[in-house]
Amino acid sequence: MIGANGEGKSNLLEAVELLGSLRSHRSGHDRDMVRHGQSRALVRGWCGDGQGHGLGAPGSSLDQLELELRRQGGRLARRNGKALDRQLDLVGPLRCVGFSALDLELVRGEPSQRRQWLDRVVLQLEPVYAELLARYGRLLRQRSQLLRRGVSQGEQQLQSLLDAFDQQMALIGTRLHRRRRRALVRLQPLAAAWQERLSGGRERLELRYQAGSRLEGEEAEAPWREALLEQLRRQRPQERRLGACQVGPHRDEVAMLLGEEPARRFGSAGQQRTLVLALKLAELELVQQLWGEPPLLLLDDVLAELDPRRQELLLEMVGTGHQCLVSATHLASFSATWQGGDSQVVRISRGELVDSPTNR
Amino acid sequence: MHAFADALVGARRQVGQCSRCFHLSAEPLCEICRNEERRNGQLCVVADSRDLLALERTREYRGGYHVLGGLISPMDGIGPELLQIQPLVHRVDQEAMGEVILALPPSVEGDTTSLYLARLLRPFCLVSRIAYGLPVGSELEYADEVTLARALEGRRRME
Repeated sequence: MIGANGEGKSNLLEAVELLGSLRSHRSGHDRDMVRHGQSRALVRGWCGDGQGHGLGAPGSSLDQLELELRRQGGRLARRNGKALDRQLDLVGPLRCVGFSALDLELVRGEPSQRRQWLDRVVLQLEPVYAELLARYGRLLRQRSQLLRRGVSQGEQQLQSLLDAFDQQMALIGTRLHRRRRRALVRLQPLAAAWQERLSGGRERLELRYQAGSRLEGEEAEAPWREALLEQLRRQRPQERRLGACQVGPHRDEVAMLLGEEPARRFGSAGQQRTLVLALKLAELELVQQLWGEPPLLLLDDVLAELDPRRQELLLEMVGTGHQCLVSATHLASFSATWQGGDSQVVRISRGELVDSPTNR
Repeated sequence: MHAFADALVGARRQVGQCSRCFHLSAEPLCEICRNEERRNGQLCVVADSRDLLALERTREYRGGYHVLGGLISPMDGIGPELLQIQPLVHRVDQEAMGEVILALPPSVEGDTTSLYLARLLRPFCLVSRIAYGLPVGSELEYADEVTLARALEGRRRME
């Protein structure tokens, strides 16, 4: 997809991402995805397995997926016109992995960026994780409100309520810690292999899970839960002074080390870009291993940032099995191999495809 | 139309709360609290009257009830003092209960309230909680992951 900035290329890719993962990398709020002055937005797409089979609709070769967003929140998902009980049921036929220019934040940005990236991977591995994340978020918000507003009946009541929150946060928190750690253990060798390849064998990447709680010994649910419970209790005076809970998965960090040095501080811009690409390729490989089918790739304005050698390596990984949606401002930013084969070029202007697809 | 309006006004005037369990009632004591046979040492705690009515429809439970009138939620400014918790503790203490069954929804607020109550009531009697799991007649393979995970968590030893 070729078009000048602001013509709607990213918008289109974001819509595909929403249908495939129910999330947007750009914003966590539905209100940011609804056009100004409108109350609702609708994303509609059709997908099939490319061999003339829809994945559910009888008599049709394509499934119709719809997601309706509302400014004030609340979503409605439909497949082939039929409303689904849970929006999670929309996910499945269309899996995608997105690359965008924002992703450099993954290395340079705040720890929350890396937690979100890891969470996206865990969500692909275990859909039930979404419920755990939402629950933990709600626990944190309730807890901070409790501390902000206080209680009417004194210290003992406050401590009892905090106990009730601690118990739930230790349980859910331990589950988040375990799942994140497990996902990182699976990603680490894949990411390291890609970093080595992309750097011509010069760079060794290590991903290290730094839990926001002190969790000692081997991974085990009960001891970890006990440890977290104890730490939650002990941090209370500090929590009240600082107004925020001091331990738990919301303080997790993923350390990214290039040859023992933190990539965030010591990596050059080029190294950081390679690192993001390695992380993304690892994510792609893991999703593919897991589902046995290549996910759809969304490359939003990133090819231009890669030198021809890295573009070639990316193409090699993508191979012929992946369907890829790529956006750029100029056709010239693609290396020749990207333009060959069965690629199709379309132009986008003011949110619409302006000329009919040209086969190349 | 007049009859309908009268019924509404009448309902508004007559229906209040049972002074013991806080269920909706036209009398000072509700039908369940007036029934001596239902004072069997079991007390079921629910968030509101709708939940009580749902449990009543099962015709399985023969004990008493206590309606909290909501759930603890600091985000909504609802602390324990806004719920019927003091009267609950008083009842459990005075009426010599054998068991209190917590039947609150499996949400963050429901669980917080359950944990808070369990701690308060444990010195007086046995405190239990209803199980969460699969709807009867459903197939395991069609259950959603969240429900299945909850059902696994609440598994029971086979006797």
